[in-house]
Amino acid sequence: MRKALERGLLGVGLMLAASGASMAADGHDMLFGSLLVDQLEHGWRDGQDTVEWKAQGWIGGDVEKLYLKTEGEYVRDDTVEKAEVQLLYSRMVADFWDVQAGIRHDFRPDDPSRTYAVFGFQGLAPYVIEVDASLFVSEKGDLSARFEAEHDILITQRLIAQPKLEVSAALQEVEELGIGSGLNDIELGFRVRYEITRKFAPYIGISWSRSLGKTADFARAEGEDADSLALLAGVRFAF
Amino acid sequence: MIGFKTTAFAAALMASAFLPYAPLQAAPGHSGGHGHGSAAIGEPGKAAEASRTVTIVMGDNYYEPEQIEVSAGETIRFVVQNKGEFLHEFNIATPEMHAAHQKEMAMMFEHGMLTPTSIDREMMKMDHAKMGMSHSMKHDDPNSVLLEPGQSGELIWKFPSTGTLEFACNIPGHYETGMVGGVQFRAGAGRK
Amino acid sequence: MKLTAAAGLAGTVSLYPGRRSFASADKELQLTVEAKRIVVDGVESDAIAIGDSVPAPTLRWREGDEVVVQVTNRLSEPTSIHWHGLLIQGVMDGAPGFNGYEAIGPGETYTYRFRLRQAGTYWYHSHSGLQEQQGMYGAIVIEPAGREPVRYDRDYVVVLSDHTQQNPMTVLRNLKSQEGYYNYGKRTLIDFFRQAERDGFNAALQDRLEWGDMRMDPTDLADVTGYAFLVNGRGPEDNWTGLFEPGERIRLRFINASAMSFFDVRIPDLPMTVIAADGQFVVPVQAHEFRFGVGETYDVIVRPQEDRAFTIMAEPIDRSGYARATLAPRPGMEAEIPPLRPRAILAMSDMNHGAMGMDHGTMGHGAMNHGPSGGGHAGHASMSHGTMNHAMPMQGSSGHGAHGTPAGHAMAAPVPADGAPPVGWDQVGTLPGEKALAYADLKAFARNADNREPGQEILVRLTGIMERYIWTLNGRKFEQGEPIRVAHGERVRIRYVNETMMAHPMHLHGMFVELENGESERRPLKHVVIVPPGKEVSVLLTADEPGDWPFHCHLMYHMASGMMTRFIVEQPTAKAGGKDRA
Repeated sequence: MRKALERGLLGVGLMLAASGASMAADGHDMLFGSLLVDQLEHGWRDGQDTVEWKAQGWIGGDVEKLYLKTEGEYVRDDTVEKAEVQLLYSRMVADFWDVQAGIRHDFRPDDPSRTYAVFGFQGLAPYVIEVDASLFVSEKGDLSARFEAEHDILITQRLIAQPKLEVSAALQEVEELGIGSGLNDIELGFRVRYEITRKFAPYIGISWSRSLGKTADFARAEGEDADSLALLAGVRFAF
Repeated sequence: MIGFKTTAFAAALMASAFLPYAPLQAAPGHSGGHGHGSAAIGEPGKAAEASRTVTIVMGDNYYEPEQIEVSAGETIRFVVQNKGEFLHEFNIATPEMHAAHQKEMAMMFEHGMLTPTSIDREMMKMDHAKMGMSHSMKHDDPNSVLLEPGQSGELIWKFPSTGTLEFACNIPGHYETGMVGGVQFRAGAGRK
Repeated sequence: MKLTAAAGLAGTVSLYPGRRSFASADKELQLTVEAKRIVVDGVESDAIAIGDSVPAPTLRWREGDEVVVQVTNRLSEPTSIHWHGLLIQGVMDGAPGFNGYEAIGPGETYTYRFRLRQAGTYWYHSHSGLQEQQGMYGAIVIEPAGREPVRYDRDYVVVLSDHTQQNPMTVLRNLKSQEGYYNYGKRTLIDFFRQAERDGFNAALQDRLEWGDMRMDPTDLADVTGYAFLVNGRGPEDNWTGLFEPGERIRLRFINASAMSFFDVRIPDLPMTVIAADGQFVVPVQAHEFRFGVGETYDVIVRPQEDRAFTIMAEPIDRSGYARATLAPRPGMEAEIPPLRPRAILAMSDMNHGAMGMDHGTMGHGAMNHGPSGGGHAGHASMSHGTMNHAMPMQGSSGHGAHGTPAGHAMAAPVPADGAPPVGWDQVGTLPGEKALAYADLKAFARNADNREPGQEILVRLTGIMERYIWTLNGRKFEQGEPIRVAHGERVRIRYVNETMMAHPMHLHGMFVELENGESERRPLKHVVIVPPGKEVSVLLTADEPGDWPFHCHLMYHMASGMMTRFIVEQPTAKAGGKDRA
């Protein structure tokens, strides 16, 4: 498990290394890279406290990019509850939209690992809402989807509130992963960060998540709550 | 009110522009108020009294020569030629009077009576009262010649015994960018 | 050790500012390009110097002379020097990848040789990578062979620039990574409540939604902030000072050598008479301030009468700082630094994608945008002016010119009493009774040589995706679109339609364009033309310089992001030459 996580981190490290910029010989088509650790946060909640992360980095030009996305969760006893890494080819298809395709691999200590094919789009919807939507097909042929949307509200130039919605759904029930069919999770987050610089912003927040339908049943069967409220404190940073 | 009254000035400009030799009277009417009476700048002279003729060429945007030397009380006949492509003026006055003129000129440009290259004669004849510049049209302005490109004019001027005088073009921007010449009074004997 | 040396140099130079120049007698000169640490207002940072200084030494030459400049590259990357505004043989123009000119490799020396075919104020800068931002720019002053239409007692070069502590590559990466990375003047929730209180909640919300719907930001005036704004390499603290004696005429040769910054330039209490634009004389015109596009130059005459200091103030349009210098009778004197004027936010009319905001060359500078001179050429008669500015709140400034000439007084944008930002790119905040120079005020001193009607119109749409920081011409990045191709001697109109929300200073190498600003036979000659956001501007060109010329937005990061194309003037052929000139 630790190895798997390390592998994930290695990827992040590679992104970091590439996050400088280099100019091609003809002087105008340039390669850039960027890494944003959007969330690295401690969550206080009813049951177990958690540490969660969510990051994405890219390397590429204006039209084509290679994306690495990762998210995951530690629990307090220092084991990884779950970790996910996606490696995606991303291509601009409209002014505000990229389509993305690639693979996703999940690492879980208790459940079997899974690898998925990913198809998605990411971009900026009207009213400046950042959207990331993905469709996953697992190696077993199970189909699931995830939709994320977030929006920055500037309270001041540096104090920024960010409401966020995340919804996941599945077509088939996958019992071994605790996933029911249909809409299975919804998470609402609200974080307020202070941008000391554009690249470093501590934040506090609150997040509420709820499992739905069969997924909730699975959670309860495992002794977890179907809904969970957490107070968050974390840091957002970029390279 | 400092300086010349606009319409009067306009009339004077017209006179000097159209007549090769303006029949100038010896009583320029701008003595009241700007603090530089005719005595300070001199007065129109009589042709018979002119001691010499000085040719002033006006180019874009300069005078040739850039400096003249006069004796106290001397009367000079100036032949002024505009060899440039723009409207130019030859005006003998004090720096303060020029400064006042420049404002008047700017207004005339704004109202279209003058353009960078020409005098709008129709506009000049209009009733300027409508522009809020209602003043007598009888005013004469004998110390200036305003010439369109290619024109020539004459000015006979009797200088005072001394003073701070410049000849200058008060078309907007011209004085500021150096279209001005100095009048130097010869030390010692003048006529009179 | 390095620090001491640099600080020492800064100290020495500031005693005689603006006086570093090469003697014109020596028409052969060597310039070395090398990395250097510079100190701005006591802060040290990396730079690239030409001739060991930032800005580079002022080159004083004489019209008609042949000059030879040997440029040696002591960097570890290729470099180049472009002679901005000079009429020059293509290969000597100094833009790598064009006209057969190749960048100067590390350790190499390139010998430029050209005859000066013009007089006036120009400048030179790197045309490689982002080096210009790092200090590779300097002034060129060419004395005329004949008589000048101005007389003055003193002559100063005033080079404005923007200096960043950051590596320009990092700047570009940040711009590509996050929209509005450097914008700390965005609209906030607090602004929203203020706006709601002022205009009503619904109106404020509606406004936010309209911008949000377009995914655009009305505060996007400048892409990069955090700059130190320099005058002749000096920050506001270092205070470059030009000396004068009261009553003297001083010629100031303003050069906007910034990478990214438009400025509003003024000298409080000292009106300027503008005598030249982009190196070419114009009919003198008085103004209290001018909006200064990147790459442009203006020569002005000022005549301070009093024994006091005057502040040369240059506010970037996003008001994120200022450049400041002083004119003074004695060294060490200072005048008041006026407070920065309010930062405007864009109006919906700045976003009209060119389809509505047809104001031709008269749009652009200052508050006088409604001059009488919009028409004047065929083929544009059908354009509607009626729908302009529909979203422009009445600020009292949109009254139209009561005066029949472009020399009217400014319709000054009043400083809003209620704290609302002025709305509209062109809302400078000109003081009441003062005049901001407008493009419509520019009248070439010399008659245009060619008054043929253009044979073809070249449409150049200024395009881009701010969110991704991709900038394009006609929707294409450099080398992805077709070059523009014209015959030698051909008379063309270039019509710029700005479909973006930023102003672009468009620069054509190798030739002057004639700005269509309403003048019929004295159209001002320009090498850079500002195209305001959402507006349209047209220029005429006689394509008489054969070559393969760069044609680009002079905002450096826009150019680097793709806002450039090739403008190819074909070589003269006996047939074509005869036909076109017939």
